[in-house]
Amino acid sequence: MLARPGTGGGVTVEGSLQCPYYVARALAHALKLPLEMVVLRQTETGGAFGGKEDYPSVIAVQTALLALKSGRPVRFILERREDMEVTTKRHPSIIHHRTGVTRDGEIVAAEIDILFDGGAFSTMSPVVLSRGVLHAWSAYRFPNARVRGRALATNTAPNGAFRGFGAPQTIFAMERQMDLIARRLGISPVEIRRRNLLRAGDTLPCGQQLRSAHAELVLDRALALSDYEEKHEKVRGDERVLRGVGLSLFMHGGGFTGAGEENIAGRAAVEAADDGLVDILVSSTEMGQGAATVLPQIAAEVLALPVDRVRHPNPDTSRVPDSGPTVASRTTMMVGKILLDAAADMRERLTVFICEKTGVNPESVTWRDGRLYSGDKELGIFEELAALYKRERGKPLKGEASYDPPTECKWNENEYKGDAYKDYAWACDVVEVEIDSDTLELRTPRVTSVVEIGRAIHPMLAEGQVAGGTLQALGWGAMEDVKMERGRYRNNSVSTYIIPTAVDAPGFNIEIAEAPSPYGPWGAKGLGELPMDGGAPALAAAVDDALGVFATELPLTSDRLHALLRREKRGGE
Amino acid sequence: MKFECIVNGKTRVIDSPPMRRLLDILRQDLGLMGAKEGCGEGECGACAVLLDGRLVNSCMVPAFQLPGRRVETIEALARDGKPDVLQQAFMDSGAVQCGFCTPGMVMAARALLAHNPSPTREEIRAGIAGNLCRCTGYESIVDAVETAAEKGYSPGVDAERCGRIDFSVTDEEARSVFLPQTLEEALAVMSKHAGEITPVAGGTDLMVDIEKKGHPSPEIVLDINGIDELRRIRLSGNWLEIGAGVTFAEIARDRNVLEIAPMLAGCASQVGAPAIQNRATIGGNIATASAAADSPPALMALGARLLLASEAGLREISIGDFFSGYRTTALQAGELISFIRIPLAAKHYVQLFRKVGLRRALAISRISIACAAEVQGGKVTVCRLYAGSMSPSPLFLEKASELVVGKTLTDELARESGKLAEEAVSPRTSPEYRKETTGKLVARFFRDILKGSA
Repeated sequence: MLARPGTGGGVTVEGSLQCPYYVARALAHALKLPLEMVVLRQTETGGAFGGKEDYPSVIAVQTALLALKSGRPVRFILERREDMEVTTKRHPSIIHHRTGVTRDGEIVAAEIDILFDGGAFSTMSPVVLSRGVLHAWSAYRFPNARVRGRALATNTAPNGAFRGFGAPQTIFAMERQMDLIARRLGISPVEIRRRNLLRAGDTLPCGQQLRSAHAELVLDRALALSDYEEKHEKVRGDERVLRGVGLSLFMHGGGFTGAGEENIAGRAAVEAADDGLVDILVSSTEMGQGAATVLPQIAAEVLALPVDRVRHPNPDTSRVPDSGPTVASRTTMMVGKILLDAAADMRERLTVFICEKTGVNPESVTWRDGRLYSGDKELGIFEELAALYKRERGKPLKGEASYDPPTECKWNENEYKGDAYKDYAWACDVVEVEIDSDTLELRTPRVTSVVEIGRAIHPMLAEGQVAGGTLQALGWGAMEDVKMERGRYRNNSVSTYIIPTAVDAPGFNIEIAEAPSPYGPWGAKGLGELPMDGGAPALAAAVDDALGVFATELPLTSDRLHALLRREKRGGE
Repeated sequence: MKFECIVNGKTRVIDSPPMRRLLDILRQDLGLMGAKEGCGEGECGACAVLLDGRLVNSCMVPAFQLPGRRVETIEALARDGKPDVLQQAFMDSGAVQCGFCTPGMVMAARALLAHNPSPTREEIRAGIAGNLCRCTGYESIVDAVETAAEKGYSPGVDAERCGRIDFSVTDEEARSVFLPQTLEEALAVMSKHAGEITPVAGGTDLMVDIEKKGHPSPEIVLDINGIDELRRIRLSGNWLEIGAGVTFAEIARDRNVLEIAPMLAGCASQVGAPAIQNRATIGGNIATASAAADSPPALMALGARLLLASEAGLREISIGDFFSGYRTTALQAGELISFIRIPLAAKHYVQLFRKVGLRRALAISRISIACAAEVQGGKVTVCRLYAGSMSPSPLFLEKASELVVGKTLTDELARESGKLAEEAVSPRTSPEYRKETTGKLVARFFRDILKGSA
């Protein structure tokens, strides 16, 4: 974070962050400055995954305060170990399930109790809990349900946002419970899911009736692609290497919970720049997920321009409107939709302008390959017409739009009932595991993942999200063991907090399915967090298949597998 | 100190304190921002560059070892702003998300393809095992490297040093920075500054200790890397002799080592990751004497002996006698480990080194076993079993070893020896898992011999 005091008492802050306006408002509040006197510029941000959602505000306030007090620029860099010790992490959880199910495996009633460890301060905990609770049933239908969620204060560094934001925790528990039900009833893990998965028209415990559901679609495709049935419960491998396969079925709501998008009331704009390019003005940040590619794609499509003529500059709050934070799998789905409308607004303005000048009928105007036409007659090249507009109107050609809430979606915050999310993406993961019978070291040679995301605006980037997010889920599931002592992180370095290397990572078999949603641009739904939800429970199921142990705790380190096997041998469960 | 080195093909004059990191010289002095500080302890690869054609982590290379060396960074790849084949492959495969691991990752791929132009996907993964990526899941990166290989990308990387190691130092530095070119020179310096001088080879332990563990930066340093005598491997009489300055990467691919002491080659290839193996030396590994050090158990099982050199002469000591406690060795002031000797008879042993960590690369060892056995006509004539990482120095599994000597190997004997091994080790943490695993690995060693698959 770098803060420069401005003339006249303001401050400009640059940093690696996800949410420029969160930081700007935090600064305005903490330093008692009008918002206009605070300027936030996002700099190149190397990955975030939620870790840069709220903590940057803490660093920014300290840096800005020093800059204002000293009258000099101040730079604040956390050393890697300091960063690991104090910044926010995933909420640890303990979740209890009690399920009433018929002998045929149909779920009749479910009671779920969710505890999240929020750390010392509340920060994001209410929202994490909210999403966790609203994903507690994951991809399944519960005619009767009681779900209770509590976030607890503990004496540790505050926990915050991390990809999935409560859903990976509750989905892990739900998936394990489905596997336990399958075990107890002697039904296969596939069958138990098929009998209970959500279908279009089903109602969720929060009262939302699903307009669409694609659980069965992704389940069937993943089973076929992975040859799951050929591999599950078959004795494969030898006494040296134990093999297993496991699956998980899950969904993830795109955008903010409930009326969150309405509260954000995000705004976006596109503006023709003097150099002939079009700038996208949103507060969404590029952090590796591809916003700087996908958002220009959306605007370029509407404006009939080549993608490289549309630019997504790093957000600067003195220039861009607040389209909301870059979180909650909302950037393509929600911000992309507002942006689409803003580009349409620009298109209409220029069309109207040209028609007023030439007397051409607006109905006859088409936009193709960077030019405007009336019928077959070319009216001009976009850049030139935009420049003409600026000369004549005295201001740049600009299109603007704000979030247009769908009226059919209703959410009651007081009763906590209604349409929890505008729409859901669906997925099925199949994880294959090999376990060394001597050392209980685990490797995942292959993972199959089928995701249904409405529309893949950029298929390669979408696959990248699936591979990256699934590997994060596997790391969380297999090796990312957080050790604490008296409230402090003992593994505070890259050498002791273990994430997967390339040799730990599986080969991926990824397929994208598309069932366009009415709520995103060209049907696109949220994707960024979905892949985090399924890897860990599928891994646990695969371990069960290989070793015959039912794991309920993550990560599945060799030590933990060893303890589970010994308990199994002694006849406990 | 002031010196010349070659950076991206151009001779550069560097003026820097001796212990300053190459990473900082690149970023702050030369404006080459591609190499990034992801961790500062050699565990992430974001700072990776090529040094004399080999992948290294620039956060762990001190300035005083740079005179006359060749450094290649990511900035060397593009020509006139046009990305090279490898960079283009990364872009085309979607192998770049946030981009922060990318410069180091590309350099790791470049180093791999320079030395292995047609790698399998497994070999690609091993080549980039020391470069952490949190965004991509590595799949697209492996695709990119494979594509570049298919297009015939195999850059010539100059592995020869440019030779001109002149440097100029301040008066103070002249008393504290030494770059000897011969062992004799080095020993004279060691003697003169006995007790207050730090010999530095790869720096992969030292630099982490200074950066992260608060150890003071050494006042007087001596560069091992310039002493060619310490960098060779040769057969000498009844011994395989390995210079203390030989890196683990060199050990892993040496023909003589592979023939006579394959467990040492196996051990070397399990150390850290490629960038660490290219710098870490066997002498440094022995001298640091960490409880989790990889080579000591293997060397003990092989019956290795160390030659300790000083101005007074040479002293030979068995590797077992060299370690005397937690991070304590028999090395005396003024002495350097010069050579490691392995008896040629070792080539008759069935050998195994196996390390178990928390992941499959860049892992600190939690359990290691080093097993050497000679089997004639089904009967065990020699057996040396050692367990590492569970005691201050490697533990000789005496009962487990002696049980099998003179006996015909059977499945039951394997199991019994394993049981004795399990009972012999007493790790402080995760005891049941580590004890049981030690026993199983020892039993597995013998069972593989029986199956003929050892």
